[in-house]
Amino acid sequence: MTKSFGSQIRGGESSCRVRLSTSKVLSAGGVLNIAIALNWEDYNKFGAELPIDEETLVIYEAASQTPPDALPLAVKPGEAIAVPIAEIARPFGDKSKNMVVLGLIAGWTGIAREALLHGIEKKLGRKGPAVLEPARQAFFAGESFAREHPLAVDRTLSPAPQRETPLLLGDGNEVCAAAALFAGCQFFGGYPITPSSEIMHLLSREIWKFGGGFLQAEDEIAGIGSAIGASFAGKKAMTATSGPGMSLKTEMIGLATIAELPLVIVNVQRGGPATGIPTKSEQADLLQACFSSHGDAMRPVLAVTSVADTFATTVEAFNIAEHFQTPVVLLSDQEIAQRKEAFEPIDTSRIPVIDRLRPTPEQLDNYHRFAAGADGISPISQPGTPGGNYLASGIEHNEEGAPTQSGVVHERMLQKRFRKFDALQRRRDLIEIEGDLDAPIGVIAWGSVAGVCREAVAIARENGLPVKLLVPRLIYPVIEKVYEEFFASARHGLVVEQSFQGQLYRLLRMYVNVPDGFISLARPGANPLIASQIARKLEQIASKSLQSLYV
Amino acid sequence: MKSVEIPTSTQPAVYKSNLKPIWCPGCGDYGVLSALCKALANIGRPPHEIAFVSGIGCSSRIPGYTTAYGFNSVHGRALPIAQGIKIANPDLLVIAAGGDGDGFSIGGGHLPHAIRRNLDITYIVMDNQVYGLTKGQLSPTSPCGAKTVTSVYGSMEAPVNPLATVLGYGCGFVAQGTPADLPGLIALIEEAIRYPGFAFVNVQSPCVTFGSPDWQLPQHKKTLKKLIELGHDPANRLAAFDLAQQYGEELHVGVLYRNPNPPVTYDQLVRQRQAELAGNTVQKDRILEMFKVA
Repeated sequence: MTKSFGSQIRGGESSCRVRLSTSKVLSAGGVLNIAIALNWEDYNKFGAELPIDEETLVIYEAASQTPPDALPLAVKPGEAIAVPIAEIARPFGDKSKNMVVLGLIAGWTGIAREALLHGIEKKLGRKGPAVLEPARQAFFAGESFAREHPLAVDRTLSPAPQRETPLLLGDGNEVCAAAALFAGCQFFGGYPITPSSEIMHLLSREIWKFGGGFLQAEDEIAGIGSAIGASFAGKKAMTATSGPGMSLKTEMIGLATIAELPLVIVNVQRGGPATGIPTKSEQADLLQACFSSHGDAMRPVLAVTSVADTFATTVEAFNIAEHFQTPVVLLSDQEIAQRKEAFEPIDTSRIPVIDRLRPTPEQLDNYHRFAAGADGISPISQPGTPGGNYLASGIEHNEEGAPTQSGVVHERMLQKRFRKFDALQRRRDLIEIEGDLDAPIGVIAWGSVAGVCREAVAIARENGLPVKLLVPRLIYPVIEKVYEEFFASARHGLVVEQSFQGQLYRLLRMYVNVPDGFISLARPGANPLIASQIARKLEQIASKSLQSLYV
Repeated sequence: MKSVEIPTSTQPAVYKSNLKPIWCPGCGDYGVLSALCKALANIGRPPHEIAFVSGIGCSSRIPGYTTAYGFNSVHGRALPIAQGIKIANPDLLVIAAGGDGDGFSIGGGHLPHAIRRNLDITYIVMDNQVYGLTKGQLSPTSPCGAKTVTSVYGSMEAPVNPLATVLGYGCGFVAQGTPADLPGLIALIEEAIRYPGFAFVNVQSPCVTFGSPDWQLPQHKKTLKKLIELGHDPANRLAAFDLAQQYGEELHVGVLYRNPNPPVTYDQLVRQRQAELAGNTVQKDRILEMFKVA
């Protein structure tokens, strides 16, 4: 379930789209099967976010007095029914319109009647019968209307098969916070910002139970600053924010890089720059995530690809941060962060949790904080440990931690700080590849758009197109070899993403020889990418690439 | 850094590292370092139990000149880092330090919040009324009319009054000292560290290179007024405000205000909350149960 709003607090337009399936749902979906407009003015404010086509059933408020053949829509829908929703709801109170609509949907499609009634009871039962009963009656009234007004085309769905293990239900922000606790996060410092605040909400409630601490800081800089302090003190630490907050935290990310302190920074992306379109999803902070720092600084960037995947990828972010003693940017986006997704239970026993390397008693006898082995990683001490005393600093320092202005030392320490990431080039498991490995057509996508592309590729393959898909969970550093192998067979294809510039496409071209046949399919936030359209695009590419064989 | 043998009777030298300060000869900060090490020796906590955080500036180099766990961070951000450390490990003795530009200008937004949260942290500002490391620009405590490289015709701004400011924010311990009265400064820093809550010490620490030649340690020595000799009662917050008003006119040294009933600190509350909620901890492998639909 994906909610979308304007950026007002109460009132104003809001939409809620629900996608149901007996098979795995990979994205919020494209064109609506059923669209419900309580009023047309608000409906149309969402524009392409709520697309309708010739198949869609449109249910709308009869009081709008719009004739079914003159709807304010660009496309003529499959069927349009005016329902006097407000009038049906009136006897049951002002807030009953939604219940009438649930009744209509249940009546026309047969979807989970018992579950809907159970849900109404769960949501409203504790408010007492004076609230619950009118809501139930409104639901029944909607259902009766549907029964009395059968659709032109029957849309009744067969009941879903019973499952043995029930699915879990959560949104990306909640799952991210839960994963942080699983990974051993014991400190969160942050500042409220849409659409990431729910991470902070959950941790402010739960982290104490795990012996952790929490700070709602006075600003974004103090949020990350306190997390860096906690990491210095030896605790796994996290901060979470969205684009503008990320900009403010930039200097501190550089500090964590040079001081080699583990830290997870979550950026739940929204439309930018500046305030941008703060309640809508976008993927335009990728280049910022990789490069926003002065000086030669590098930090790994991971991206979640679904609500369920947010769990493992968040734990991975902590593992990489701790192992490599580095800030890690974990990119989520509003679409994943705030959509409710039903997901399979996760076997957490298969997810490893890694802690930072600490000095041995022998190393503490003559401790040099930044002395490194071949892998560039140095054992890290923490306050309270006798013999481990050292100076952490944003100023360049030598192996002992003493400040220096020496170019020789600066270069040596840069080599150390970059060398440690060489090992990430072996993390092929952090890039998912689906489809025939020798397919001539390829798709590359990340974040919430990865789910859309999984569906697009499935459609294309059903249509007989030889396509494969690459989804990086670790985006930066770019694991060059994996892309080179991918491009060995796939000389044509798409890099699909929700940004204006096509930031992943540009990033890949910095590191890999992207074939000329690969083009960027990039649309900015609040303009949904639709699986069927991407599949069509792939067909066009395929026919062109075949033609080119004969030219 | 080489590990340090901790003698049974703690000597100030235990707290001094072998790094040579970058400070100019005659800089007030030498006196602050010396006073701090003596105060720490009097308190007796070993260096490895101390976290000493600073921002950027001449004075912010000070953690590296001690044997504590030091953190010389970025400009203006000592307090957020210090708070994260203290929340993460309340057992540590946490000290933050920096200059007037670091604390009242670029980092000025953190000060009221550090004070109102009231973690048990001591914050020492070396106030020299000028930017030294960047070579002599106007600072937030430069007096109106001060001529610097960025105010060649004289400053048109009124300075921040650090003492009145922190009193206004509700700081429970406010003191001012000068290296010109070293025994007094040692006692102030020691008392600030022992105060159970956020403690602020403003040290008039003159810049020999860019500071006013008329406002160096010899002048401090001549003009300073010891609050204890003025009969000031540090429990009297209103009297403290009156004295604080004279910042920039009189050099008051001593404790301006010490809350006679220190309230509970944030770090104590962190511990309490952890203890209260510890019984509700779920096993980590059951963490996803919060997403079960009833």
